[in-house]
Amino acid sequence: MTLVMVVDDDQDLAEMLGIVLTGAGIDVDLVSRGDEVMEVFKNNPPDLVLLDVMLPGLDGIEVCKLIRAESMVPIIMLSAKGDTHDVVLGLEAGADDYMVKPFRHASELVARIRTRLRRTNADVSGLLTIGDLAIDVNAHEVSRGGRKIALTRLEFDLLVALAKEPGRVFSRDALLGEVWGYRHSTDTRLVNVHVQRLRSKVEHNPENPEIVMTVRGVGYKAGVMGGS
Amino acid sequence: MNRIVSKVKNSLASKVIVSTVLLSLGVVWLTGSALYSQLSDGVRQVNLETSLAEARSSFFNAQYQFLLVDGANSSIITRTVQEVVISSTQVSLSQDRKSLFLSRFGPAFDNGPDIAAIDYTTSTDDLDVSSFPSDLRQRVKTSDLVEYEYAKVKFKNREDANVLIAGRRIAIPDSGNYEMYLVYSLTNQNTTLTLIKNSLFLTGLALLFLIGLITWLVTRQVVKPVREAARIAHQFTDGDFSQRMKVESSDELATLGTAFNEMALSLESQISRLENLSRVQQRFVSDVSHELRTPLTTLRMASEVIYGQRQSFDPNIARSSELLVAQLDRFERLLEDLLEVSRFDAEVAVLEPVEFDLVQLIERCIDDVLANEDSHIISINIDHETEQAMISADLRRVERIMRNLLSNALDHAEGKPIDVTIVSTRTEVAVGVRDHGTGIESSALSRVFDRFWRADPSRARVRGGTGLGLSIALEDARLHNGELDAWGSPGFGAHFVLTLPRIAGQQIGGRPIRPQPIDYPQTN
Repeated sequence: MTLVMVVDDDQDLAEMLGIVLTGAGIDVDLVSRGDEVMEVFKNNPPDLVLLDVMLPGLDGIEVCKLIRAESMVPIIMLSAKGDTHDVVLGLEAGADDYMVKPFRHASELVARIRTRLRRTNADVSGLLTIGDLAIDVNAHEVSRGGRKIALTRLEFDLLVALAKEPGRVFSRDALLGEVWGYRHSTDTRLVNVHVQRLRSKVEHNPENPEIVMTVRGVGYKAGVMGGS
Repeated sequence: MNRIVSKVKNSLASKVIVSTVLLSLGVVWLTGSALYSQLSDGVRQVNLETSLAEARSSFFNAQYQFLLVDGANSSIITRTVQEVVISSTQVSLSQDRKSLFLSRFGPAFDNGPDIAAIDYTTSTDDLDVSSFPSDLRQRVKTSDLVEYEYAKVKFKNREDANVLIAGRRIAIPDSGNYEMYLVYSLTNQNTTLTLIKNSLFLTGLALLFLIGLITWLVTRQVVKPVREAARIAHQFTDGDFSQRMKVESSDELATLGTAFNEMALSLESQISRLENLSRVQQRFVSDVSHELRTPLTTLRMASEVIYGQRQSFDPNIARSSELLVAQLDRFERLLEDLLEVSRFDAEVAVLEPVEFDLVQLIERCIDDVLANEDSHIISINIDHETEQAMISADLRRVERIMRNLLSNALDHAEGKPIDVTIVSTRTEVAVGVRDHGTGIESSALSRVFDRFWRADPSRARVRGGTGLGLSIALEDARLHNGELDAWGSPGFGAHFVLTLPRIAGQQIGGRPIRPQPIDYPQTN
């Protein structure tokens, strides 16, 4: 059974989330304070964290950073703020995805959770390479020049999505569909922030990328400098 | 020249200096002329009197000499004439040059003319006698007194000159009556007058310069604080209220400075109070909206759970659950719109432009709007000249404008088709959304963008719009420096035209689509 940790200070909302998720066949661990998260997290590691931004004790952004320091578990931020600033802050702190309250449908939340738990590139297997970067899809491992690189599941999925079709240019919308499972969304900030995070891990110099290349005005592609 | 004129017009100091100098020029000119005419009159008078006195004495002397030699032989008379000529034309140092002219015109004495006698007619300095005024000569011939006149005479060996001519009748023994003229050159007098004129002119110039200088100094004293005030007022306009005027004295200018500073202080406090108020207000609205979201989320999820089970409820409860879900939707839209309106009011709405294809976006919006439409079956026809219209704009906002315009059109179309026109020019793109429904009264056109305004309050709301859609659409368009125009006529439907610059923030040059549709009959 899948375990999702729901961190929200609003008891009623947390309970409601519990009802909805349990109804969808997901086990729920409820935490109401930011400073209690890490203890629960260590005792009973969840498969995914639903994290509210505004929390007593410790801010959701800080909690996100703490979890990221320990684990690559998928994190979805819940926020009552739709403002760019807060969304980007949450994503930069390590969140994979975010949802703005109120959600259009509870089923949408469940769908997002399932997307994050599922292997998005189930059709790919074996070994992929971009230049000197090696991706072992089955073992879920990435290494560059013999050095292993730790990626979150989402970053891994993003990298695999680009690497499985080297040279193809993916628009941000295409990546949102491929990796995040959105049908259509106007929020391309998700892609931008995660490409930045991925680059900071796999590139020698993130300012001058060699693995994840920007195609101006279109999107991104996997490639080596000078390659196709 | 134009630059100088405009500079004078724009500077108080220059204006004052120029007018003062011009007025002073008039005064100096008048006093100078009066002074000069008085002085020159005096000089001429003195000169005339001296010359005439001298002439009288010369004439008397000549008469006397000739009387003495009356009856002597002709050689003595000839010598006397020569002496008279020499003594009369003798010039002292202070005097002007003098010329003499002697001309016989008749017998000297009653005791018989002796025409054959020696004619002593003579002239010095090659005088051209013909240039003498004839009436003077007439007067001299008939009068016993000294006659005089100013005249211009000719000289054979030098330039013509203005002179004073004094003449008298003289009798020379054994010869006859003569006109004797003494011609006084006016060179000295003229030199004096020129000197006076030049000094007056130079004095006048110096005076004007000094007046200008003094005016400049005085005006500067007054203008400097005024300029300072203007500079500070400019900074106020730019939002800097920290500047104050220096108050160093207790005159009227100091009063101006004090009043000015008080005004600045009052303005500053008023503005910061208003800013504070608006910040508090905006913060409150935003907080309320955010605080409402969490319970709304719970409510929505709960209602969905209930709604999902509605088949097992009795019909009334099932219908209630449907209404609950629908009204929560509406409530949420209202909340979103209110939050957006509060952002516009607080002027914190930010444009996030990206490049995208407007045609593609509109097609997607139409698909979405039609997909949500279950009670109406309306066709939307797109008419566009270009396959693609790439613009740089805020995708979310443009999408919202289009959705608002389309749902507004659907609300009022009464089942008739809706026409969407897209026209793209080099600098702007325009989208027209036309319905053929009831239309809008022209008197109501100015109000369609008002918040919560409804064309017909008695009419039921079909789609549960928030009443803020068009108002937000207008704000969204204006945020791009674009424009949203509305046209309507009862029975002819309504036409909303969105005009956006190709690159958000640039100016739109015109309206590629006119709000008034082509098919509308012209009234004039």
